[in-house]
Amino acid sequence: MVGKKRVAVIGAGMTLFRRNLKETGKELAWHASKMALDQAGLELNDMQSVVMGTAPDAFDGVHMKGEYLADGAGAWRKPYSRVFVGGGTGVFAIDAGWWHVASGQFDTCLVVAEEKMSSCYPHPAYAFTTIFDPIYSRPLGVTLIWIFALEMHRYMHRHGIKKEEIALVSVKNKRNALDHPCAQLGANITVEDVLNSEIMCWPVQRLDISPTSDGAAALVLASEDVAKKLTDNPVWIDGTGWCIDTTFWTNRDLYYPRYVQCAAQMAYKMAGIKNPPKEIDVAEVYDPFDYKELHHMEGLMLARKGQAPKLTADGVTQRDGDLPINPSGGLLGVGNPIAAAGLMKCCEIFWQLRGEAGKRQVKGDPRTGLAQAWGDLMQYGSVVIMRS
Amino acid sequence: MATEKITDIRHMLHWPGHMETDYIYTQGIAGEKFFSEIKENEKIYGGRCNHCGQVFVPPRLYCERCFRKIAEWRNLGSKGVVYTFTVVYIDIDGAKLDEPIMYALITFDGAEGGLIHRLGEIKPHEVQIGMPVEAVFRPQAERTGSINDIRYFKPQS
Repeated sequence: MVGKKRVAVIGAGMTLFRRNLKETGKELAWHASKMALDQAGLELNDMQSVVMGTAPDAFDGVHMKGEYLADGAGAWRKPYSRVFVGGGTGVFAIDAGWWHVASGQFDTCLVVAEEKMSSCYPHPAYAFTTIFDPIYSRPLGVTLIWIFALEMHRYMHRHGIKKEEIALVSVKNKRNALDHPCAQLGANITVEDVLNSEIMCWPVQRLDISPTSDGAAALVLASEDVAKKLTDNPVWIDGTGWCIDTTFWTNRDLYYPRYVQCAAQMAYKMAGIKNPPKEIDVAEVYDPFDYKELHHMEGLMLARKGQAPKLTADGVTQRDGDLPINPSGGLLGVGNPIAAAGLMKCCEIFWQLRGEAGKRQVKGDPRTGLAQAWGDLMQYGSVVIMRS
Repeated sequence: MATEKITDIRHMLHWPGHMETDYIYTQGIAGEKFFSEIKENEKIYGGRCNHCGQVFVPPRLYCERCFRKIAEWRNLGSKGVVYTFTVVYIDIDGAKLDEPIMYALITFDGAEGGLIHRLGEIKPHEVQIGMPVEAVFRPQAERTGSINDIRYFKPQS
C-alpha cells in the first residue's frame, strides 16, 4: 500500500429494485445517495467528489445520461465523472471511487450507480440489439439472450455440467432474496420449476435469468483520517482490480472468464490474498444468469475450473455454508438494474462485514469479502475486496 | 419511495419519447477484404500477424496483441466446426417463433476465433458441438457484401 492512502467505506444505501418504478432515474439516485450519506452521518457538503456508474444511455433513453443524472448523485458544483463498462460498471464505480481517495486528491467520494431500464419500452432487450458489432453480428439479428446461451452451452459442454446443477443457483439466490427488503424476485422455487420454465434460447430458460429492473445504490468512501473520526466500524477497500478481454467475443474461451481471473489477480495481489477460497469469507459474485455465478466463481479462483457446480450442490455456497455466495439474493433474486446491481453487491459486502445484514447475515464473523461484476460484451471483469 | 406495484408504465403520468437515429457503418479495411472474398469467391479469409503468427478470423487491420499491422490474408476455405450453439425459440418480444432458429459459433482450422451464424439443413436435436459444417452461400447475383451473403452453415456432406 506504499504510495496509496487507505480508503474506507463508511455508508451504504439503495432503493427498492422493481420494474416500472414511478421515480425518475435522478430521484432513484437521490434516494440511494441520501441513505448512504445518512448512514455515514454526513451531508452532501462533506463530499469532495462524486463518481456515477450507469450503463447504456439507451436504457434511461437520455444520451449523456451521466450528465442527466448528476444532480441526483449529489454532483452539483463538484468534481464529477461518469464511468461505464457495461454490466461491470457497478463494481468498477467503487474501484474508480477508490482511486479518487487513494490518490490523496480527495478525502471523500460519493459513489452512486443507477439504472432505469423500464423507460426502454416495451422491453430493454431492444437497447441491447445495438451493442454488438455492426457488420459481423447485427445483420444476423443477434439478441442478448442467445449470445449468453452460446456461452452457457460451451461451459456445460467443456465440463459435462447438467442443467439441474446450474438451476441450484437460481433456487438458492431467489430464496436468499426473500430476506432482502429491496428484492424484486425473492421466491421459494425448486430445480423442477427452473427446468420446466419456458425455453427461451436453449439452454437458457426463463428462470435462469435475472429480471428487468429500476433501481439505484450508493456508497460513501472516506480516507483513513476522516473515516476514523466518523466511525468505529469502517470497512476497508483492500483490493481493486479490473480487466478487459478482446472485443471479438468469438475469440474467447467462453467456458472460462480470463478477464475475471485477471481482475481478481490484480485485487488479490493488492490485498495480499494467496488462497482465495480460504481467505474470502463471503462473496457477491455477478449472477445475471445462474450459470454466470458458477462461471465467475471459477474465474475468481474461488472454485477450480468446472468445480463450482459441486460446491453449490454440496451447500458450500449457501448462506450458512463455508463460502457463502450471494447472500443478498444476487441479481437473480434482488433484481438487475445493471450498474446499480453491481453496486448493490458492494453494499451487501459492506453490510455483511459490519454485521448489519440482518436476516441475511452469514454465519461466523466475516472479515474479508469480495464483490465482482462482469460486463461490456462478456469481456470485462471488475473486482473489489473489502475487510472489516 | 413509491411502493405501489405498477405493471404498465403507461399508467403513470408520462411522456412517450423516441431516440431512433439511422446509421451507415463502413466495413473498414479488413472488413472489405473479408466481405469481398465472400461475395466474389465464396471464401472465408482470416488475417495473419507476421509477428506472433496468429491467424484471426474475422480478419483485422492490426494485431491487438503485438499492435502491428496485419498485411497477410489467409484463405480458410468455407468449412468449419460447431464450437457451441443455441436453439432460439422466441423472438425479441418474447413471442414464440413458428420454427426455432439455430445459431452457432463456427471455428476454422488454423485460425483463432470464428463466426456466429445460422445453422440449416439440420434439426435442432441433431446438432452437436464439434460437428463439421460448411457455408452455404447465396447466389452470386444476390450477394451484397454482408455476413448474410452466407445463408447458413450446413453439415458437411
